[in-house]
Amino acid sequence: MSAHALGAEAGGAPSASASWPVELKDVTVRYPNGVVALKGVSVRIEPGEIVAVVGLSGSGKSTLIRTINGLVPVTEGTVTVGDHVVSELRGRALRELRGHVGMIFQAFNLADRASVFHNVLVGRFAHTPTWRTLIGAASPRDREVVMRALDSVGMLEKVWGRAGALSGGQKQRVAIARALSQEPSVMLADEPVASLDPPTAHSVMRDLERINQERGLTVLVNLHLMDLARQYTTRMIGLRQGELVYDGPAADATDADFEAIYGRPIQPRDRLDR
Amino acid sequence: MTATRLDVPARPRTWPRTVAIAGAIIVITLLTTLPALGGVEIDLGAIARNWGNGADRIAKLMRPDLSILPRTWQPLLETLEMALVAAAISAAFAIPLSLWAARPTNPNAPFRVAVRSVLNIIRAVPDLVYATILVAMVGVGALPGVITLVLFDLGIVVKLVSEAIDSADAAYIEAGRAAGGTQTQINRVTALPQTWPVFASQVLYSLELNVRVSAILGLVGAGGMGRLIDEVRGFYRYDALATIILELLVVVIAIEITSNVLRKRLR
Repeated sequence: MSAHALGAEAGGAPSASASWPVELKDVTVRYPNGVVALKGVSVRIEPGEIVAVVGLSGSGKSTLIRTINGLVPVTEGTVTVGDHVVSELRGRALRELRGHVGMIFQAFNLADRASVFHNVLVGRFAHTPTWRTLIGAASPRDREVVMRALDSVGMLEKVWGRAGALSGGQKQRVAIARALSQEPSVMLADEPVASLDPPTAHSVMRDLERINQERGLTVLVNLHLMDLARQYTTRMIGLRQGELVYDGPAADATDADFEAIYGRPIQPRDRLDR
Repeated sequence: MTATRLDVPARPRTWPRTVAIAGAIIVITLLTTLPALGGVEIDLGAIARNWGNGADRIAKLMRPDLSILPRTWQPLLETLEMALVAAAISAAFAIPLSLWAARPTNPNAPFRVAVRSVLNIIRAVPDLVYATILVAMVGVGALPGVITLVLFDLGIVVKLVSEAIDSADAAYIEAGRAAGGTQTQINRVTALPQTWPVFASQVLYSLELNVRVSAILGLVGAGGMGRLIDEVRGFYRYDALATIILELLVVVIAIEITSNVLRKRLR
């Protein structure tokens, strides 16, 4: 961890620390209510890949992505991120791992009444002692990282405004800045554009693409729209009822492949630009 | 529009349930009011027989004696001071306690249940009991009153604020957890500003309640207006009592207007 911090210090920007691979081996997730959300999923994602996880709602996409930062514990199998086995981590070690894994959400998950600055400061939690957070004194370096993250998504001028006053696209950019300020090695995105209008959706997808290309970050993005998966990602994983049913290059995926993933004929609502 | 018949699903029958609920309410009411069945004894005839005893007091209350006013300033000031100090102290304690008593901001179930249980006990004890015991322990004056009000406020503010946190959307907490934050960090940076308006609103409400409650606490020697009320009531000076009640009314309304203005600005 200290090595990453030093590297970023030298660059002065929230640059990517070494990008990490992600590997799932025979992962099964059974929720306490008995629902089996993932069934024996095995997949390896190389450092620096940008991968779409495609499937209908309820197919297990959200569960899969949440096993990677331990928000959802696996019932069987192992999840490895970098050289950490997520399912073996508890407490401080788990929080430290999460610090290396950025995540953005469909509903943005911002504290609307807090300022943009404080929302992005959340990304520094894993790198900050709790006492420092409690007294409300962000270190000069944390401040610098937050400002650079906001600048990189074009939201710096809103830094002192309330998060709740922003538009949907702006909120998702702030959420991306929050994830970037973690200086992550892996970036997860759970349906990041499902609450946005088409032009805004494209610009947020371009932001993710840029993060992948410029920082070389490993990016996993959950999508239910086939054209976004084809356009912005290089590899596609298809989930259907918790099982891995497709794994291949995204650009080559045919309509028949999507029909196999969805388990039904293609409909106009499966595309963003119809 | 063609006039094709819509296949409207049959509306579920709800009247048996309505009848059952109404029946249950009637039965419970009867059980609790019939003395023969061990219910409370309510003698409506007593009102007719005795109301004349109170009539002359009401008549006196209708003619407030303003000459008492100069004597009320000092106790009124004490009441206001007690109310304000108690609201401020309880607010300081209520911030962490409210966050610890709500599920989204404290996922540790045993800890949460412990905090809630202590507060339930604090809320269950009547304020006059606190005041009576505290007067015996720390002596007559404003101090037992302030401590009583702090306990009283804590019970109310923590309950209302933690319930507001429980029912609010807490997706931002998942984001804090995903970023590797401790619960304390998440609460400090996001849950606290998120809860601020409802918290401030409840503290203002407790300030308002404090003025009313502290008027009663003086009856057992816990300072403020209550002591004066007790005195004038002892001499059957209901005309002076009317003045004091009017004065308290003005103060409570003034506080309510102020807090309404503040609440609007908090949104």
